[in-house]
Amino acid sequence: MSYEDWFRKDRLPHIFCAGCGNGTIINCTLAAIEQMDWKKDDTVFVSGIGCSSRASGYIITDSLHTTHGRAIAFATGVKMANPNLNVVVFTGDGDLAAIGGNHFIHACRRNIDITVVCMNNQIYGMTGGQGSPTTPKGCLSSTTPYGCVESPFDLSELAIAAGANYVSRWTSYHVKELEKAIKTGFETPGFSFIEALVQCPTAFGRRNKFKQVSDQIEYMKAHSLLKAKYDRLVESGEPVPTDMFIVGELAHRKRPVMGAKP
Amino acid sequence: MKLAIDETRCKGCNLCTKVCPYHIFQAGKKPNKKGIVLPELDRPERCANCRLQYLYGRTLCGVCQLTCPDQAIHWVDEEPYEPMKVAIEY
Repeated sequence: MSYEDWFRKDRLPHIFCAGCGNGTIINCTLAAIEQMDWKKDDTVFVSGIGCSSRASGYIITDSLHTTHGRAIAFATGVKMANPNLNVVVFTGDGDLAAIGGNHFIHACRRNIDITVVCMNNQIYGMTGGQGSPTTPKGCLSSTTPYGCVESPFDLSELAIAAGANYVSRWTSYHVKELEKAIKTGFETPGFSFIEALVQCPTAFGRRNKFKQVSDQIEYMKAHSLLKAKYDRLVESGEPVPTDMFIVGELAHRKRPVMGAKP
Repeated sequence: MKLAIDETRCKGCNLCTKVCPYHIFQAGKKPNKKGIVLPELDRPERCANCRLQYLYGRTLCGVCQLTCPDQAIHWVDEEPYEPMKVAIEY
């Protein structure tokens, strides 16, 4: 018995590009679900529009492939109609941060008992590499050919500020840690938000000096700063490197929950 | 148990060559009939999970399987009386 049983095997291989990190995040999510003793009939996967949101179509449970940005709105409806279901949302950064940002912050505010796995590839991959709200400053995309000048969205900080119960961020390099984080997110009642930075070799990597898939993986490995180390740096007053992003469990608290299992 | 790469699923991204602690996966040279260069297995009998999965009753390392974005890496049971090589590293 392994998480391979959760795939719709007749749909594989999936349509993601060679080296796309979305498949890794699906593996980690299913490996976490496998440890949770959930039944396939009681689990619902909801997703919006985008590369990452095709993930729910490859999993052999009830799944909803909804309109752009409205994945969390549909998931709220599913959870409110039947609180016994386990609802997991797959979403991307363009889906969650750009068009669905309002649904996201209000789901955090209400603290609904769902788990959101955001595959943040920092670009609109499916439509041809346009700049998204999370494109880092100075990165090239097809709509920012001289480098992005806007400040990117920090989705985890946004979720913490809006009131999510569990927030953590990992990358597609940290597979075991990501699996544990998703499992903790499933166990935590209330809104759990797991941001997974993934590589996009086709739209992001080839414009930003990552010629090979592994180059971007090496970048994520080298530029991730553990939360504990960040806290130590802040405590001792040492300067925090500006080009690094924080990974780890960013928030874990017990706010009142809406739609918890009776 | 032994390691196997599913030829119908692998897209040749070579991420497995980066993550294996034993460097069992090596970048391949020849494209197959779909034009995809599959990674080659270098002495796969060194894989800890192949030998000890049944003994411990759980997947031991499994990072290659988790990392593979195309779900191409898996373990298959050996045929009865299949000749086995044992690699000992000092």
